[in-house]
Amino acid sequence: MDNDNPHSLDRYHRQMLLPGFGEQGQKRLAASTALIIGCGALGTVAANMLARAGVGHLIIVDRDFIELTNLQRQVLFDERDVADSLPKAEAARRKIAQINSQVRVTPVIEDVNHTNIERLAATGEYGRADIIVDGLDNFETRFLANEVAVKHGIPYVYGGAVGTVGMSYAILPHTEHGDSPWEKAGRATPCLRCIFEQAPPPGMNPTCDTAGVLGPLVSIVANYEVVEALKILLGHYDAVNPALLSIDTWANTTRRLKVARAYEVGECTCCKKRSFEWIEGRYSAGTTTLCGRDAVQLSATGENRLNFEQIADRLRAHGEVKLNNFMLRAQITDVNEPFELTLFNDGRAIIKGTKQPARARGIYAKYIGA
Amino acid sequence: MSAITVQIPTALRSQADGQESLQIEGDSVRQVLSNVCQQYPDLGKRLFKSDNEINRFINLYLNDEDIRFLDQLDTQVKPGDELAIVPAIAGG
Ligand SMILES: [Zn+2]
Repeated sequence: MDNDNPHSLDRYHRQMLLPGFGEQGQKRLAASTALIIGCGALGTVAANMLARAGVGHLIIVDRDFIELTNLQRQVLFDERDVADSLPKAEAARRKIAQINSQVRVTPVIEDVNHTNIERLAATGEYGRADIIVDGLDNFETRFLANEVAVKHGIPYVYGGAVGTVGMSYAILPHTEHGDSPWEKAGRATPCLRCIFEQAPPPGMNPTCDTAGVLGPLVSIVANYEVVEALKILLGHYDAVNPALLSIDTWANTTRRLKVARAYEVGECTCCKKRSFEWIEGRYSAGTTTLCGRDAVQLSATGENRLNFEQIADRLRAHGEVKLNNFMLRAQITDVNEPFELTLFNDGRAIIKGTKQPARARGIYAKYIGA
Repeated sequence: MSAITVQIPTALRSQADGQESLQIEGDSVRQVLSNVCQQYPDLGKRLFKSDNEINRFINLYLNDEDIRFLDQLDTQVKPGDELAIVPAIAGG
């Protein structure tokens, strides 16, 4: 085995034996870029397997930092990462460097929203991704990812999981000129919006904090995403599952929901009318109540990098302050209520201890300044 | 009249006395759902936006086919059919 040659394909031997892979396929994977949006339960499993499979460049975007309760299912992280208060994207980069040094990981510690998603997926410094892999925990950002996929002609693999149930579905989007390789192969599929016209409203579905989530379930769902991603990156569009997969790991049911006619029969605003409302920011909000936590996120306020030292000095009067290159975290007692304020250097903040956006904005304004 | 199986998603089971599935009579999807609403009014409120319209974040699959691509609510059903209520799954 040739472990020293950085370009050696030896490590992929068992994979290259598979139909559809071979040396050519392996080289094709090495030349591919996958954008993984969200690096939580689904995202860590997907990033782990894509890295081991030898996908050459992984762009991993996540706004969050690692907590102890993540370790039950988020396979790239460990107790040391919790102690170091690492952002998920950076911890993923470090772990993958040890798993497969042939893979380049670009960690991006940002909240994905309408202002940056096109840059991350298609028009920015990372170039155009070959695939978008869903590691998200909310439908708003999924509709954004779906629109970017359709607008820029990038395949997108959806996955969702809560409790013991999950879904996965591969989108080979209808493009503006209909000239993508999957359209030429007659394999375009309806987009996510063809299938789910609207995002479920808050409170409609159980969330991670009300229903919990089964570790193996997220691994199953994310690995279905990875299987479809590999088929797509290898150009095996005929092998892509055209159905929406729906799994209940506790009730022992697996459904292949037939959605193929959704594009022809439906009137999709996204892939049929090519109107990109989410990218235009028509539905964006400045605050997000975070799934699974008693916390609210405030969007970045501007382009200016924050001066952590200065802010830390001010906040020490109110309680314990910890900081590293990526974030500042302060324990604050406000009107006899404890809060944990985490600031990222793009100005974004997570206020823990409340679910009310207005209360969170108040804390931010009071201790950081609007 | 014939009974079909209506699969209730986890998210809505508390509105159906915790049941995973229901046996409901009817000749069409509309009739079946109207009987569901009568027996489980809270569940009905989560499914329907108005009397004639299902909330757009919920899909209905009859034997794994989306009823939007059959005859919508007028799709005919026969004994043994399975109607699955499928909301989008947001977590992850
Ligand atoms: Zn569409």
